[in-house]
Amino acid sequence: MRKTAAKLLTVAALATSLATVASGTALADPASLPAAQDIVGVGSDTTQALLNQFSTDYNATVAGTTAPRLYSWDATGTSPITTKTGATSIARPNGSGAGITALNINTSATVDFARSSRGPAATDPTTDDFIAYAKDAVSWAALGTGGHAPANLTTANLKDIYTCAVTKWNQIDPSLSSATIKPQLPQASSGTRSFFLQAIGGGTAVTPGACVTTGVQENQGSDPVLNDADILVPYSVAHYIGQVYFGKGSGSDVQGPLTIRSVNGIAPVDTVNKVISSSYAATAYGRVVYNVVRHAEWIATDTHGTALRAIFGPTGWICKSGSADIKSYGFLPLPSFACGSATHS
Amino acid sequence: MARSRARLAAAGAAVVLTVTGLSGAAAADAATPSTGSAVITNDATFLAQAALKGILVVPLQPAAPAYDSTTGLTTTFPVTGGAANIPQFYGDVNLGGGLLFVNLANGKSVTFKQLDFHVDTWQINAVPVGGTTPVALLDPAGDNVIGRTGTTQNLSASSLQVDAAGAQYLDAKLGTSFFTEGQSVGSLALTFTQGS
Repeated sequence: MRKTAAKLLTVAALATSLATVASGTALADPASLPAAQDIVGVGSDTTQALLNQFSTDYNATVAGTTAPRLYSWDATGTSPITTKTGATSIARPNGSGAGITALNINTSATVDFARSSRGPAATDPTTDDFIAYAKDAVSWAALGTGGHAPANLTTANLKDIYTCAVTKWNQIDPSLSSATIKPQLPQASSGTRSFFLQAIGGGTAVTPGACVTTGVQENQGSDPVLNDADILVPYSVAHYIGQVYFGKGSGSDVQGPLTIRSVNGIAPVDTVNKVISSSYAATAYGRVVYNVVRHAEWIATDTHGTALRAIFGPTGWICKSGSADIKSYGFLPLPSFACGSATHS
Repeated sequence: MARSRARLAAAGAAVVLTVTGLSGAAAADAATPSTGSAVITNDATFLAQAALKGILVVPLQPAAPAYDSTTGLTTTFPVTGGAANIPQFYGDVNLGGGLLFVNLANGKSVTFKQLDFHVDTWQINAVPVGGTTPVALLDPAGDNVIGRTGTTQNLSASSLQVDAAGAQYLDAKLGTSFFTEGQSVGSLALTFTQGS
């Protein structure tokens, strides 16, 4: 009996190990150190799993041992990281802002592109090109069962909550609980955070009030802090769809007990087609996701520039062959001619 | 033969007058119109190949053609309305004027009005005179560069290409097999400032 149990434990451990490796293939840091000529990125949490999938699928199409391949480092994990052969060791960039900073303070010997879930900002160098490839949207999530949050909040409600002008649910609607609202925001470098604060401010970023707690990892509803009847937190709609409908979550990167909610009466998810609702995507809460590159390298005719455009360009792999991956992670592909567009601040 | 040419000229003139009248009415309806322009720099190769096939493409007022020895032939379509967020890839930019396509070899022609850049699908649509359903005519393609200066949004596209639906429609109406999906007619520079 004891031997059988031991065998079962061994099998279970082996299965767990294999599953970890299998999911790690698509959803983790590079399995081995990328070569110096490879195209390596850091940054956004929201798009990291999609970029890992791109990496797997694009690299499968690359022939030869010296041709540049695509690799992407997750937003979280051990730090510092050495991104590729010959690179400078850097603190692991967590989020779009940190990724863009890493792009700008390093050379292509260390970082070739930054994943970004926000568009260009006035503070970004004009030498950065934001290469668009998919659409996402941002909404808010709250505890699905037993929570006090309503199904819908308006932009004005969200602004009031995040500026602490409103601190109790029944100030929004007298029929709601009198409990204190616990607004949460992702960490400061998060593109989802900056986009959300700008959207609820009607285009001008809201400064969070003292009642707001900052620091949760974005799009991870599994965080025990979020298992609370009174929290609400911004959430990538695409990431949520990938987690809930397409099994793209793993480990802590799952929706947990949270469910995503409506803004201004518009539901963010088309639950029939399992996509971002088109009416929601066309609001101020719709956004584009990008890979950010250095302009001089983007237009260069050398091997490096050619490799960047072969992956991210209008006729590159993502725009021509990445649509299935984009949809399976909950994002909306851009129209074929718009994909690969370069946006400047 | 001379009678046919006279008929063609008369038909063409009638079409131009009709379209001019329609676009004028549309412009009068806009209370606080958005501003800007869409400038198409025509591809000389496309124009030459079209001319060899007897096909003429005529911009209709208030679209304005111009020639410069450096940039070549350009056509400017004024922005007349719309609401768009080009960097976020949604909305519409309405353009004034129209486009007349004439096949001199057989006298067939088609005129488009209500030009509209539908940002969501990244297509320039237009409504054929006598119809109500827009046809996807052109696609901003190649290297698209998007920017924003203050409240003005900009788009430059290194290639403006014939849409698959547009090629099919034009060939059917003109009785040609000239138009193809992806055929470059030039490049596009769009500026758009949304009205209030």
